[in-house]
Amino acid sequence: MLAKNLMENQDIIQKVPRPEPGKSTLPQPGKPVPSRAYPGALIVVEGTDGSGKSTQLYLLKRWLEIGGYRLHFTEWNSSPLVKSATRRGKQRRLLTPTTFSLLHAADFADRCERQIMPLLQGDYLVLADRYIYTAFARDAARGCPGRWLRNLYRFAPVPDITFYFRAPLDVAVHRILSGRPKLKYYEAGMDLALSYDRAESFRLFQARILEEYDKMMDSDNFVVLDGTLPVNKLQKQMRDIVASKIDLKRFAPGIPAPE
Amino acid sequence: MSDQEKEKEKPNLQVAPADLAHATGTPLPAGRPPGPGEDGTAQYFYGEALVGFDPSEITGNLIVIEGMDGSGRSTQIALLQEWLESEGFAVQTSGLRRSNLVGRDIDELLAKNAVTRLTLSLMYATDFFDQVEHRVLPALRSGTVVLADRFIFTLVARGVVRGINRDYLNGLYAMALRPHLTFWLNVRPETAFAREFKKAQAISYWEAGRDMSLSHDLYWSFIRYQTMIKREFEVMAKRHSFIELDGEASVSAVNKQLRQRIGEQLGIRATKYTPSAALAHLWR
Repeated sequence: MLAKNLMENQDIIQKVPRPEPGKSTLPQPGKPVPSRAYPGALIVVEGTDGSGKSTQLYLLKRWLEIGGYRLHFTEWNSSPLVKSATRRGKQRRLLTPTTFSLLHAADFADRCERQIMPLLQGDYLVLADRYIYTAFARDAARGCPGRWLRNLYRFAPVPDITFYFRAPLDVAVHRILSGRPKLKYYEAGMDLALSYDRAESFRLFQARILEEYDKMMDSDNFVVLDGTLPVNKLQKQMRDIVASKIDLKRFAPGIPAPE
Repeated sequence: MSDQEKEKEKPNLQVAPADLAHATGTPLPAGRPPGPGEDGTAQYFYGEALVGFDPSEITGNLIVIEGMDGSGRSTQIALLQEWLESEGFAVQTSGLRRSNLVGRDIDELLAKNAVTRLTLSLMYATDFFDQVEHRVLPALRSGTVVLADRFIFTLVARGVVRGINRDYLNGLYAMALRPHLTFWLNVRPETAFAREFKKAQAISYWEAGRDMSLSHDLYWSFIRYQTMIKREFEVMAKRHSFIELDGEASVSAVNKQLRQRIGEQLGIRATKYTPSAALAHLWR
């Protein structure tokens, strides 16, 4: 039923045909990967902590999973290779804005080279909870130069859709502070010495991140969604947009990948 | 390192002429091309300034020794450290995979050989900047001479020969400090092979560039890989004003040239030196 609805949708962006075999579409650091230089599709969610993005991506994933679509879900900061270094750096507070940024880039590069790119080339739908824009926003909020950050992630494929869940600072901060017993040191931005109080530091840090996200709305083609809407309404919007922008039937069960 | 604590207590011994130029904001010394469209930060960095860094604090000297494995870098650095200390200079050293943050993690990744080229490159960058921020800069702030056993040039060359875009790597290291002097101990890969083999009775997987599938023959893999690296160094030597030394000359001859040039930089007039008994075995 679901797939049928989607197929009826007329407003579908055409995919470029699969590139000739032997011709690598792997991103070269330094050369941005043009959107859809691979047969798969990449959907990412971005937004400050407490904006509701993870809940929404989870529901989108469930919708697609239940429909039987070929998909892979990937999370920020989850590469097992880099995990021990990140944990040690955070525990011992060894990280500076530069090394914090580089370690997360290494983590992302590992996932990009071993999961995201191969799956996009293998005609999968890839869903990413946080993507390079998280690094752009968070590391810029820590003072890293924007030009340096943009270069650092040049190897990343450009998403087909970037959802930006925008929630007012107070709403997002309240959601986090009411549900979490203790904020971690880097999570609260304590390394920036904005305030001795963790909750206050978190608030100030999140305000900076929000500002950085807002700067990217136009330049990076964010699809902006209102994070204060009821969960099911927001999910409806999200599903409609995905169905209209992505040729979902390509990833549907029973239909072999096109030659 | 206990060395570091010792150094902190030592007074600021000398400010080299190049540092005075930095402190007063005079134009760039010759041989240091400015970064792309940058202001004063170009004196210290290739591109962007390191976050939270104040250039006026630098009173030490950063001296880099580059060269392939088997070019004699570590021997020369041991000798230079002794010589500089005998001249009353505090010395700090740095090198690849020595950071507290990820040094051991890289060792593990290399041992497991389970890592892709880009991830490895970024782990090395993390290692590099951790040392810059926690070891090199604190030393330079306290007037110490930093002897760097390899620098960004090796890291860039290794990435480029593995197909990572050169501009990307230059951008990655845009926040690296510009050395005051960069020496390149140039040797033929064949010589390096013989020296390395003699040292360890084996050639390591990574030194031979075995990940690049250049040859199943260990010797040829080493020669081809190191030749590619050397070619990258030839490109960088011009752009970054390397002081090229013949790494095939005797240890004492190479050391003499190093002392002369470093002596000029630090204002040491007499550069006579004979190694102590502890290091005499290196002097051949």
